[in-house]
Amino acid sequence: MIPQLAYPTALALGALAIPIVIFYILKIRLRREPVATIMFWNQIFEEKKPRSLWQKLRHLISLLLQLAFLALLVFAIAEPFFSWESGRARRIVIVIDQSASMNATDVKPTRLERAKDEAIKLIDAMRFRDEAAIIAAGNPPRVYSGLTDHPRTLRDAVQAIRAADGPTTVPQAVELARRLVVDHDNKRIVIISDGGFPGSTDMLKDESIAAVAVGSSATNVGITRFQARRSLVDPIGYEILVEAMNGSNEPVERRLEIDLAGEPVDVVPLKLAAGEKWTRVFEKTSAEGGILKAFFDKPDSLQADDSAWAILPKREYQRVILSTAGNLFLEKVFEAIPLVKLTVVKEIAKATEPGAILAFHRSVPAVIPKGRVIVIEPDRSTDLWDRGEAIAAPIVAKQDKDSPLMAHVRLDNVMMPEARKLSIKGKYTSLAESATGDPLYALIRRPEGDVLVITVNLDKSDLPLQTAFPILTTNASAYFAGEKGELKESIAAGSVADVSIPDIKANEHVSFIAIAPDGAVRDLPPAANGKITIGPLDRSGVWSVVKKPQNDERARGGEMRSTPLAQVACNLAERRETDLRPAADWSTRRVDIARGFGGRPVWYYLIATAWILTAWEWFLYQRRWID
Amino acid sequence: MPLFDSDFLKKLEYLAIVSRRVFRGQILAQRRTRQLGGGIEFADHRDYTPGDDFRHLDWNVYARHDDLLIKRFQEEEDLHVYILLDCSRSMARGEPAKFDLARRVAAALAYIALANLDRVAVIGVAGDLVADFPLTRGKGRILSLLKFLENLEPTAAATDLARSAASFVHRSQRRGLVVVISDLYDPSGFEKGIDILRHHRHEPHIVQIYDRAEAEPKFLGDLELVDVETGSIRKVTVTERSLKEYRKIYQDFQESIRGYCVSRAIGHTTTTADVAFDDLILKMMRSAGALSS
Repeated sequence: MIPQLAYPTALALGALAIPIVIFYILKIRLRREPVATIMFWNQIFEEKKPRSLWQKLRHLISLLLQLAFLALLVFAIAEPFFSWESGRARRIVIVIDQSASMNATDVKPTRLERAKDEAIKLIDAMRFRDEAAIIAAGNPPRVYSGLTDHPRTLRDAVQAIRAADGPTTVPQAVELARRLVVDHDNKRIVIISDGGFPGSTDMLKDESIAAVAVGSSATNVGITRFQARRSLVDPIGYEILVEAMNGSNEPVERRLEIDLAGEPVDVVPLKLAAGEKWTRVFEKTSAEGGILKAFFDKPDSLQADDSAWAILPKREYQRVILSTAGNLFLEKVFEAIPLVKLTVVKEIAKATEPGAILAFHRSVPAVIPKGRVIVIEPDRSTDLWDRGEAIAAPIVAKQDKDSPLMAHVRLDNVMMPEARKLSIKGKYTSLAESATGDPLYALIRRPEGDVLVITVNLDKSDLPLQTAFPILTTNASAYFAGEKGELKESIAAGSVADVSIPDIKANEHVSFIAIAPDGAVRDLPPAANGKITIGPLDRSGVWSVVKKPQNDERARGGEMRSTPLAQVACNLAERRETDLRPAADWSTRRVDIARGFGGRPVWYYLIATAWILTAWEWFLYQRRWID
Repeated sequence: MPLFDSDFLKKLEYLAIVSRRVFRGQILAQRRTRQLGGGIEFADHRDYTPGDDFRHLDWNVYARHDDLLIKRFQEEEDLHVYILLDCSRSMARGEPAKFDLARRVAAALAYIALANLDRVAVIGVAGDLVADFPLTRGKGRILSLLKFLENLEPTAAATDLARSAASFVHRSQRRGLVVVISDLYDPSGFEKGIDILRHHRHEPHIVQIYDRAEAEPKFLGDLELVDVETGSIRKVTVTERSLKEYRKIYQDFQESIRGYCVSRAIGHTTTTADVAFDDLILKMMRSAGALSS
């Protein structure tokens, strides 16, 4: 039971006793105070002569008290410890659930704050030489503090955990925790959660895992799915998929409202039984676009799933100049595309207008002009191809199913008589080819603009009569329009998204930042191939990507005024997080971390004794019993 | 700053005028002595004894009643004012020093007396008589008296009023008003000295001057208390409790002085050293006026 010293060299501080003794000797030389007469003082002190023995002793007691105080301090700094203390030290990993459901306000202020309080209690209950680590089960799980026995570091790590709207990652966090303490015998993993994660029952079979349950039954209705996509039949139309769920034990009534750019689009009253899900698809049209937002009329325990967002880009009109001697099918199919503004010319257009698509039917120039070009049934060889003989069996034998140009198109049964063999110079992508391998529909990529060429004779082929023809044309139009106007998928909270940044040159060094829905700013990695990776997005709402302002711009609030280069809608959209009903198999268990009396280190008691000595000395000094 | 400047002298003149106008004959000036002798104002008769001057026989009474009676007359004479100024080392203590106020008060009383045609002597006392300004008369002597006071300094001797008073009365001077200006810090007790004066038919008046720090000391802790008069040292630990006891003892001391003076009809003035001397003189005058008619 003889304690060892962690820092035996600290005993050298005992030399401080020398100056204490010196100062004490100096102090005994009393201060002189001249008085007019001493006769009154004599009257006082003549009466106190019986205490003279104590008067003699008190000087020595004062010195002994100070030396004892020094001895206690020095010994405390040397940090004595018993061998059994190091043997019984525990390794505790505290896993705090950082999922969206932990933001529920059924316990005040939130479940996450309550979880942090519980974690602080555990830290305060650590024994001497225990070590603990803090892991937040967010997206992804993150170690906020490695194993340490420094309570303040651990408390700071707990306080650094911020609320997030992502799905739960407790199982992954527990795996991470296991790796942290894999080499230790006396280990314990404490999960502080509301229990809304898979595999919780099996997890608790492990004796080394303890659970602290937070939260109670709460009323919550959430939007568990919210996606928008382009209509297949209407280029300016879009469809909205909405799913709502009642994640409480009681039936609720809500009104679901959908806005586009702040203007109401639809309002739906909902009556949902406990645990009931409701799904509907809305079909709407808009060319102007904007931010789609769905929300409930009443707040509840969890705010993150009360709203959902989607980005609906503005649709741009596309100008198409069609050079043709006259083909009704071709003209009508272009006119049928709502976003196309068609101009038909008889002569061969030599140069395109900026942004316009040139379409040549039969008559083509010897040199295909710059820009985006569609060639139908070319009547001559050009700088891009040589026109050959008619193909013997002009049936589509193979088509590129992965190309967006061939999306929703099946050319299996389409007859293409008088299709000519094209020997394309340079590299090209064959979108449809005959049994002989000759390209019937090809994409030629050029730096000055891509060219689509199809050799089918529209007068003799039945392609214009097939549904594939307008789809083919629409795909071509959409391909040349690029991603402008494409609907962007709303991503789930906690996910990572690749965002296209327009007009960024390859060698341009531009830094970007992401502005979270709550206004927080995060630096983003550099753009690669015009795209930038953003995420994981831990807050639901609309995220914006802007150029990082220079220092002087920042001083003027530049980042706030910048027009977003891209926007990303992020929704919670997670049924497990919306469901705030307590998990049946989740309860507080095996939390026996408390140290009780005597769990503090030896130095703590030494310091406490030193303080008591100080207080005692002060008490005696104030009464002049000692000096 | 000189002890007695022109402003001081102006105040002295003012005090002299006030003393004549308001308190005439009540403190110092023109008091009648109880001595009977060769005056012109009849006092009473006494029986003739052989050796008496026949000129003082009341012949009318003898003619009417056949009794030999001697006529007695009240003799008017100058009042003798003796100022016993404590010159012990303790008088140099205080902020301002008690000795300064003591000298100013002595000068003021002397001036008032001289202005009222009385005789004044100033005697410095400590362990014994240490300085003497002999009896003098007339306002013209005031400047030399002031110079005497200005040159007076506290001595190293301890206060011994009894011995000083004994030396004073043995100088066979005429009886008169004896103003004792002192802090009365006499280890053997101030009463003995005053009693000696009284027993020799002097009329004592006590002016006690003390410093506020002496009544309520502020120091605490372990100290060596040094008596400035005796040089004796006492190592003490001053606590709040002992300070409280000190204040009580000092208050009892002041009460004992007051009680002693009241019981013996002795004029008594107690003051701190930080008051203006003229205010103190006026206060003394008012006090005397209130007591005597």
